Amino acid sequence: MIVSPSLAFLVCSVLLVIGGIAVRTLNRPKAQFAFNVLLMAILLAIAAVLMLTGSKGSYFSLISVNPFSLFFIFLFTLGMLLVNIVAFSTSKNYADFSVLANFALIGMYIVASSLSLIGIFIGLELASLPAVFIILLERRAIEPAAKFFIMASIAIALFSFATVLTYGSTNSFMLQQYSGSGILLFAAVLFIASIGFDASIFPFNVLIPDVYEGSPSYITSMLGGVNKKMGFAALIQVLILIFIAYKTTFMVIAILSVFTMFYGNIVALLQSNIKRMLAYSSISQAGYILIGIAAEGQAGLAASLVQIFAHMFLFVGIMAVVAVLERRNRVQIDEYIGLNDENRFAAFAIAVFMLSLIGMPFTTGFIGKLLIFVSAVNANLTWLAVIGIVNSIISIFYYLKVIMAMYTSKANPKNLVLGRGVTAVVWVCLALTILLGIYPVPLINIANGAAGYLFSITSHVM
Amino acid sequence: MLPLVMLLPPIVAIAGIAVLREQQYARYIALAASLASLGLLFLVGYGEYQMQWFQVGPYALDITTLVTPVNMLLLTVIALITPLIVFYSFGFMDVESEQRRFYIEILAFTTAMLGFAMSGNFIMLFVCWEFLSLTSYLLIGFWHLRERAVKAARKALTVIFIGDIALLIAIVMFFSVFGTLDFSVIVANLGNTALSGSLYFAVIMLLIAIFTKSAQFPFQEWLIDAMEGPTPVSAFLHSTTMVKAGVFVTIMLLPLLSFAGVTQFVLIFAVLTAVIATLNALKERHIKKVIAYSTIQELSLMLIAVSSSALIAGVYFFFAQSFYKALLFFSAGSVMKATDKEDLHEVSGLGSDKLAVISTLFGVLSLAGFIPFDGFFANVGLGSSISNLYVYAIISAISLITSMYIFRWFFYASTEARDGGVRLGYERLPRSMALCMAILAASTLAASIFFTQISGFLKYSGYYDYASYGTPLPGLGSALASQGTLVFLAIIAAGAAISYMIYVRNVLKEKKDSFLSFVHTGRLFAFFYAIAARAACLLADGAGAFDERVSEMFDTFGRMTMASGLGIRRISVGNINLYMFIVMAGILVLLAYLYLLVG
Repeated sequence: MIVSPSLAFLVCSVLLVIGGIAVRTLNRPKAQFAFNVLLMAILLAIAAVLMLTGSKGSYFSLISVNPFSLFFIFLFTLGMLLVNIVAFSTSKNYADFSVLANFALIGMYIVASSLSLIGIFIGLELASLPAVFIILLERRAIEPAAKFFIMASIAIALFSFATVLTYGSTNSFMLQQYSGSGILLFAAVLFIASIGFDASIFPFNVLIPDVYEGSPSYITSMLGGVNKKMGFAALIQVLILIFIAYKTTFMVIAILSVFTMFYGNIVALLQSNIKRMLAYSSISQAGYILIGIAAEGQAGLAASLVQIFAHMFLFVGIMAVVAVLERRNRVQIDEYIGLNDENRFAAFAIAVFMLSLIGMPFTTGFIGKLLIFVSAVNANLTWLAVIGIVNSIISIFYYLKVIMAMYTSKANPKNLVLGRGVTAVVWVCLALTILLGIYPVPLINIANGAAGYLFSITSHVM
Repeated sequence: MLPLVMLLPPIVAIAGIAVLREQQYARYIALAASLASLGLLFLVGYGEYQMQWFQVGPYALDITTLVTPVNMLLLTVIALITPLIVFYSFGFMDVESEQRRFYIEILAFTTAMLGFAMSGNFIMLFVCWEFLSLTSYLLIGFWHLRERAVKAARKALTVIFIGDIALLIAIVMFFSVFGTLDFSVIVANLGNTALSGSLYFAVIMLLIAIFTKSAQFPFQEWLIDAMEGPTPVSAFLHSTTMVKAGVFVTIMLLPLLSFAGVTQFVLIFAVLTAVIATLNALKERHIKKVIAYSTIQELSLMLIAVSSSALIAGVYFFFAQSFYKALLFFSAGSVMKATDKEDLHEVSGLGSDKLAVISTLFGVLSLAGFIPFDGFFANVGLGSSISNLYVYAIISAISLITSMYIFRWFFYASTEARDGGVRLGYERLPRSMALCMAILAASTLAASIFFTQISGFLKYSGYYDYASYGTPLPGLGSALASQGTLVFLAIIAAGAAISYMIYVRNVLKEKKDSFLSFVHTGRLFAFFYAIAARAACLLADGAGAFDERVSEMFDTFGRMTMASGLGIRRISVGNINLYMFIVMAGILVLLAYLYLLVG
């Protein structure tokens, strides 16, 4: 049952956390960075091997290795690797950040691969609490840290309450279908509300932009790029594995997606701070992802996974450049005027990322949105697809504002140096966005496999 | 051979120009690429090719290319005009520092349009449509340091994005109705489809998209503002690309449109647009905008033809218009280049360059519809195929005014330098510009030969039967000898004569003032005419006012969303109690909803 690569994965991830603490005692950020990158690369390689061999297995009936969990594990590891590089090149507190971030990463692994509500509970806590301290690393970020902490505690409280309700009516913590009872529906709403904080679903997300704006950019890129995706991993598992038979919960998701999209897009129109704008934009992207989940089928879920994948790299890519500019105290959109004259590559990359967020063909953002809308239509949710389209058009205006600013000339531009690390991160994100946008078949196959696995186990458990 | 090969040269050239260090070679690469595309055109054969882009679950998304005679016609025109545009730009685009950007954008635009012309399903159509929108935005706002250019680009973008939403919604709905996005499958299966509300809605959305791209009422104004772009771009935009896209979609999906029974709408809106545009052209003073209005009018005429069972005449018009329209924009560009003026009453001096003025005259005669230019045959085809008497009458009136405004334009632009006018700034035009004009002038004649061929050319069995949507065009003999033709020639000759009297001989005893004041000061001769002109101006003004209303509406919408955003922003400024309240309220609302739903 236990295949050796997955054992190696377990060992490596434990080593990442414990070794990370040990290396921290050396007090040498470079060594810390090298250690982290090395281990994450190994983890990434193992995850890739597991994905390609199509391994399945489970430990202690709590942790499961399967296409779905591997999809997210791969995504989280790659995302955190990129965030680590950005953090190393833009922050002085890298060493402390990395130790805490490793804990969060393990938490995300647990969320992605847990078979039980207790596992997801532990994973969510493990991922959220280090995030609070990560935000606190920067002295000025006490307010966002406090807000994040409060949101996380409310979320955890709601989650445990929902878990209790589930256990009370079913005598089980496992992620599986239960015979119906009204209490379960109550639990479903609480689950959505609690995970809604991580996945930034309206109205449980209203403090999220404050956190994104207040935190340093590399932390924002972790919160918006990786932590949020963990929220979706949890949401998808809970909804599909437990509540697939309850059509009404998916209707709730559809309605929430409408509000989330409109809220994110309309407020984003007003923002003059780029990080705040990106926070709202990522809320609206969460809305699109919810459409796919609401479509309640393998195709819809696969579409959502594609969009999750796409958005992670778009967000991390933009944030990498934003992090560099933030160190020069440029966070207003007006201060992006003339970026093209200062660094053509940075401006081009942001332009591509933003066009992809809009849904320009030949980028991953287009593939994701297209699949989501098509799956919504196939699930008889044409109205939802139409609302999604209207929203993606609204979004054009605020993304273009940034693009226009960047490509407006500036009187005497100074050369802007991104640095090797950030440049590499942007290149990776850019390459993934464009290559997988032109030839999306591998991405779609993996997403489809992951979605298919989740649906296959729901039908077996019955 | 796969038609997509035509896209390769421009794409390769874009990459080449982008990495090239020396900007001055950009133009040669662009020219070579456009000529290579033209060469590859001969390898493209009829038929449908399907290439799977990707598949997910039960549905596959394909890149489908479809080449029928109509596509072939559009491809040919694009492939022919592109090298001329590029070559003309050799002389026109003399700002050294902007060469790279200009040619990259032109080539990207060409690529998008070529792809558009061969698209066989909505996926390919949409992809190209989006790229067209984006590149046209870049090109219109090319002089990004000019306030007006940026504003015009933004206005164009707003309207175009309305079209994009509409198209995307239409596509999604078509997919839910037909289960496929291939044109050929949709058109073939119309017989077994019921006309449902959602199909009807989808078709209306498609129409909105078409109207935005082809600048039909009430979306016509962006095309006029788009004149802020460099002149070769205007020539390109108006002759072959972009604005033709809407008409082209109408032609390709005509069975779908007539199945939904919306061709009457198209007809009504097109007639309305044609009248508004024609009247505006008569009173416009900007040298390029006169021709721009005439483009809108011609697009309307094409739509009128296509929507009133005169498809073949419409297709011929579609083909013929490209050449003289590109030519006239080239002329306008030359004049503007030479005098640095845009107002018709100030420019002059085209007359100093013989080759240029003769070429321009060819274009003018062709646009007005004089024999033997292609414009004449386009108009004759139109006149002989349209059976609706009212439409026929309107078209005749339009021809009269068309002839008037285009000669007015010509007389102003071509005079020898007058008092206050600026002399030709150049010794003579750059030869690349003059040569392109001469080539186009020759093609206005060459294109008229095609008139007798078009009915045969459009016979094709792979797609829907074009002939069933249009009466075949008359033969050369009957076209020339028919009464309608003679009446038409008389009308345009009268138009030219009136124009001559007013603008050259100054019979109205008024020198350089606007058209209306000519009319006011005129005496007996002008009395009847004054009433008509007053009415015309009122109508034109009314249309302008309406257009302003529409753009105000969009403004208001924008402000409304801003306002609601402000409200939301106030809520989310980080009050913890409020946050708790919102979360709890959210949960309660969801619960209430669920229990109401479940019962």
